Amino acid sequence: MMDELELLKKDWQKKEEHLPKLSYEDIYKMIWKKSSSIVKWMFYISIIEFVFWATINLVFTDAESWELFRTLHVYEITLTVTLINYAVLLYFIFKFYSNYRKISFTDSSKKLMKTILSVKRTVTQYVWFNIAIFTVSLVTGLYGSVRYGPDSKKILDAAEHAGNQTIFWILTIGATLVMVMILLLLVWLFYKLLYGILLKRLKKNYEELRQLEI
Amino acid sequence: MNKKLEHQFVTELENNQNIVHKVCTLYTNDRDSHQDLFQEITIQLWKAYPKFRGESKFSTWMYRVALNTAITLYRKSKRTIQTQDYESVVFKIKADTYDETEEQQLKLLYGAVKQLGDIEKALIFLYLEDKNYTEIAETLGITEVNARVKMNRIKNKLRTILNP
Repeated sequence: MMDELELLKKDWQKKEEHLPKLSYEDIYKMIWKKSSSIVKWMFYISIIEFVFWATINLVFTDAESWELFRTLHVYEITLTVTLINYAVLLYFIFKFYSNYRKISFTDSSKKLMKTILSVKRTVTQYVWFNIAIFTVSLVTGLYGSVRYGPDSKKILDAAEHAGNQTIFWILTIGATLVMVMILLLLVWLFYKLLYGILLKRLKKNYEELRQLEI
Repeated sequence: MNKKLEHQFVTELENNQNIVHKVCTLYTNDRDSHQDLFQEITIQLWKAYPKFRGESKFSTWMYRVALNTAITLYRKSKRTIQTQDYESVVFKIKADTYDETEEQQLKLLYGAVKQLGDIEKALIFLYLEDKNYTEIAETLGITEVNARVKMNRIKNKLRTILNP
């Protein structure tokens, strides 16, 4: 094998004359083209995610909703959750940006891949955080409307009439949990698919380098 | 970016473009992909150029950015048409000398190298470019000992591919 590789090396170094040759103009044109690297893609996807969740927050917390929260007796808790949400959003945007800036193509391959994966992790954490917040809002909203909503007396009376309230509450909580689980599963699948396609190769290569060091 | 920097960069890359072409040859299978990867590497080199302060040779610095682009940033396109034709053009495997042992051996060797994984190709590439293990290790971000270990494994793998 040694000899064969030496043979290959000799031949490889002779190959230069057969390689394509680009002119100064060709290369000059190229430097102004847009990158299509996965880092660029990841950046766009992350921006969409930040915008998407921020929009959801805004849509669900307009002036009218606040009035509703007050009548449903969940004003304080919703306010707290919203404040936490914005603080965390700012933290994530800062963390995302500073990690993103750390991506340097002149680092060693291993370090570069690690940085890219850590940017991805920040975004994933942000998404999970939002799902948690979303779940809390959903549960408090649901609780508020069943307990204090305009039809709540009717609902609770019907529950009492049909059997007892405990079973009603167990069923309500159960249904909510199932809804949340389905939501989580969908989001999880979406991310598996999205980042699976985007980062599969990078992850594989990173693992290969990492395994060597163990 | 000022004009002087642009000119400096394009001239340097024009003079050293062989390095990028060789990386593209190793990591792609057709002309379009070769061009795509060349362009992506050029973009990444240009983006990183302002930070290049001449601590190392321009060519040394290029190896790193070019390989990093090939193994981490670039998404392989699904196109795999005309692999055979393309390779025979790029590697200039002459049909008339096909029966010569050395020529045939080389053809098999190039074929085997093409079957390696991304990281393995990177090691072989640096080896073929006559880089020492310190440089190989630094470029990939592993220890020198592990670079040697990996290289030995690759040699074994090539042996298996060549003699199934």
